[in-house]
Amino acid sequence: MSQSRKRNIIVRRLLQAIPVIVLSTFIVFGLLKLVPGDVAVTLAGDNASDARIAEIRHIYGLDRPFLVQYGSWLWKAVHGDLSNSLVSSEAVLSSIARCLPHTMLIVVLAMLLALVIGIPLGIAAASRPGSWTDGLVMTIASLGVAIPNFWLGMLLVALFALDLNWLPATGATPISEDFWEAIRHAILPACALAAGGVAEVARQLRSSLVEILSSQQVRTLHAKGLPPSSILWRHGLKNVSVNLLTVISLLFNRMLAATVVVEAVFAIPGMGNLIVNGAIHRDFPVVQGVVFIMVLIVVALNLLTDVLYSILDPRIS
Amino acid sequence: MTDSNRMVGMLSRREIMALAGGAALSGIAGLPAFAQEAAKKGGVLKVAAPANPSSLDPATGGAGSDHSLLWTMYDTLVEWEYDTLKPKPGLAKWSFPNPTTMVLDINKGIKFHDGTDLDAEAVKFNLERNRKDPRSNVKADLTSVDTVEVTGPLQVTLKLKNPDTALPAILSDRAGMMVSPTNIKALGDDTNRKPVGAGPWKFVSWADNASLVVTRHENYWRPGRPYLDGIEFAIIPELATALRSVVAGENEMTFSLPARLKPVIDRAKNLQVVTAPTLYCIQLYFNTTRKPLDNVKVRQAINFALDREAFVKATMGGLGEPAFMTLPSSHWAFDKSVATLYPHDPAKAKKLLAEAGFKDGVELSIGGYNDQDSVRRSEVLQAQLGEAGIRLKFTRGTIAEISAQFFATEKKFDLLLSAWTGRPDPSMTYALGFDKGAYYNAGREADPELVKLIQQSRESEDLTERAKVFAKIQRFIMENALSAPIAFQYALDALSKKVLGYKPNLLGKPKFENIHLG
Repeated sequence: MSQSRKRNIIVRRLLQAIPVIVLSTFIVFGLLKLVPGDVAVTLAGDNASDARIAEIRHIYGLDRPFLVQYGSWLWKAVHGDLSNSLVSSEAVLSSIARCLPHTMLIVVLAMLLALVIGIPLGIAAASRPGSWTDGLVMTIASLGVAIPNFWLGMLLVALFALDLNWLPATGATPISEDFWEAIRHAILPACALAAGGVAEVARQLRSSLVEILSSQQVRTLHAKGLPPSSILWRHGLKNVSVNLLTVISLLFNRMLAATVVVEAVFAIPGMGNLIVNGAIHRDFPVVQGVVFIMVLIVVALNLLTDVLYSILDPRIS
Repeated sequence: MTDSNRMVGMLSRREIMALAGGAALSGIAGLPAFAQEAAKKGGVLKVAAPANPSSLDPATGGAGSDHSLLWTMYDTLVEWEYDTLKPKPGLAKWSFPNPTTMVLDINKGIKFHDGTDLDAEAVKFNLERNRKDPRSNVKADLTSVDTVEVTGPLQVTLKLKNPDTALPAILSDRAGMMVSPTNIKALGDDTNRKPVGAGPWKFVSWADNASLVVTRHENYWRPGRPYLDGIEFAIIPELATALRSVVAGENEMTFSLPARLKPVIDRAKNLQVVTAPTLYCIQLYFNTTRKPLDNVKVRQAINFALDREAFVKATMGGLGEPAFMTLPSSHWAFDKSVATLYPHDPAKAKKLLAEAGFKDGVELSIGGYNDQDSVRRSEVLQAQLGEAGIRLKFTRGTIAEISAQFFATEKKFDLLLSAWTGRPDPSMTYALGFDKGAYYNAGREADPELVKLIQQSRESEDLTERAKVFAKIQRFIMENALSAPIAFQYALDALSKKVLGYKPNLLGKPKFENIHLG
């Protein structure tokens, strides 16, 4: 594939991302306005009268038409200003700059764990389908999918933080401040988050690999006298790499979403924490800002996945 | 020690030891003065706080959970006794030369963190801002104030539209927290993120939903205070997680825990548990203008059907006190005679219902919240009232959503299971909850007699006189069954053993001024 075609794909994908971003922020904005309650109630304080709430609504421009409010938010966002939190007046961009690294660290670490553990398990299961190894791996995988990550998180804390005292139970350290301390804080939440990922990677890898290994192509390779290890590593895995990539990119997106719960269990001041607090108070600039950045990340990831597809499988363009 | 004596029946020996230990070290209850001198200066306290502050500007914030954080940075004109909430002088002493004049005499030599003098001009500036700034949330608290005049370098005189002896208590709340005028003039609304007060600690940093850090104010006006060099708050809204952080030793204190977490504190060997009465009252709000609750007999029936003792046991693990009015028994305005009006009596409840025309019982629509503790309360309530033939049909949702549906314009539900968090002065509680047109009076109507009594409660300055008026108000409210108080929730705080001198207060919002580290 020529360089210019690849560039074309990227440009096209980027242009497609624009309506996705606009539409998703618009929908979230609409949802926040649809659910009962609004930020004026929080802003007006504990013993506010109806009149006071109306007054607050006016002061903060919350009584303007829906589209005007959304439009003014979008206009600022396009110019790189994600506004301030209505409740605490912290700039949303600086909240995100502080929270995003915590979330990304956990997700990346969880992803690594899921791959490092999930891939060998999947290969072990697929190389002898129906054996007791296969059964064991699939049982582990089913458990991994079935166990809720917040519950697993609490069990991990009880054992590794409270009983053994090896790792911290809560909180996070910025990676820029102290790398190892940041990793130490991220290990337990990443484990809690990775459990489902391990299971998914192992299962998906096993099923694709079993399919490939029982194909006519592989039978031919056997007939040619290739050693089984070479068939598995050179032909089998290469063929499932596209599937694996799909699993990874979907998993990454799902893990980003799952951090909402895991962050609450471990008191990590990350993106999940930020959006939950924003949503509780109907603090829409915060919610919008987080959604905006998350959509950007997901779009970028999908773009990267597409480019990698075309590298791994030249038939895809 | 009266508080801990009263609770002895419900507490294990270890807790009593912890309470006694805390009391001894804080030097209360007439212990020798050396116990107080033993307080060591220095050290940074790490605290898990349950909520992000709504604002660090006392005038524009709104959440009841802000106070504990605000008090670290802001001193108030008036303060209160921990056990009874009786007002006492803070930054200033007050007096009422006549019923419509309040004079504030400010202590000498107090400076804000930025070096600005805390004088009469500064106090006037703050009070005027609290009264007039469009974004001020404390305007309503100061409506009785007509003018604020500087009558001396350290004296401010408030001319009142009508007698208002609730003002000392009001000035112990947000309205009395003094912010540096220099800071407000320079930063305007941004003072929210860069607060400057005259409290024992000064602001260092605040990261939303993550942390708040304060450090010692070297020129603090109280000699020898504060003990702590600083406080680092980690903001952890998930309370079980907050407690885990203390069990794991990452924080040294957390507060406002629900009773269901008490076994977790008890299991941890390195923690002390502190429980104390608070004004936080779980109660049923009635819409008295909606059928069938417009009938006093139905409202009384609900009050008789409640088994408050059982409620405390079932939903609070015993960490509470049955509520027969909106003030707990340790409060200075508590009236014993009102507490006997509604013993648990389902038969009487049924009889009253029959008299009201509901021989076969009655079905009521009720709003409730969807968090774990609220749902548990609602189930116990359903069972108790069910025995008397009162069937509750619950609609559950978030606090903001359901309370707005009940109190604001929609007027959904006959009643609401919620709580009253308490106010420094009882007259605020009655004015906000029962007065004509008050927000927390869902029906908005009030008997002229009650309206008059609420006014009267702010006329005398003498607490015994005021207590008499409050007794009348409480009797009126309970005889007419304008609400059904159920139980006061005790504060439940968990502290590392090295945290010394901490004393809970009746408001249930911790102050850190007496804490030192061992």
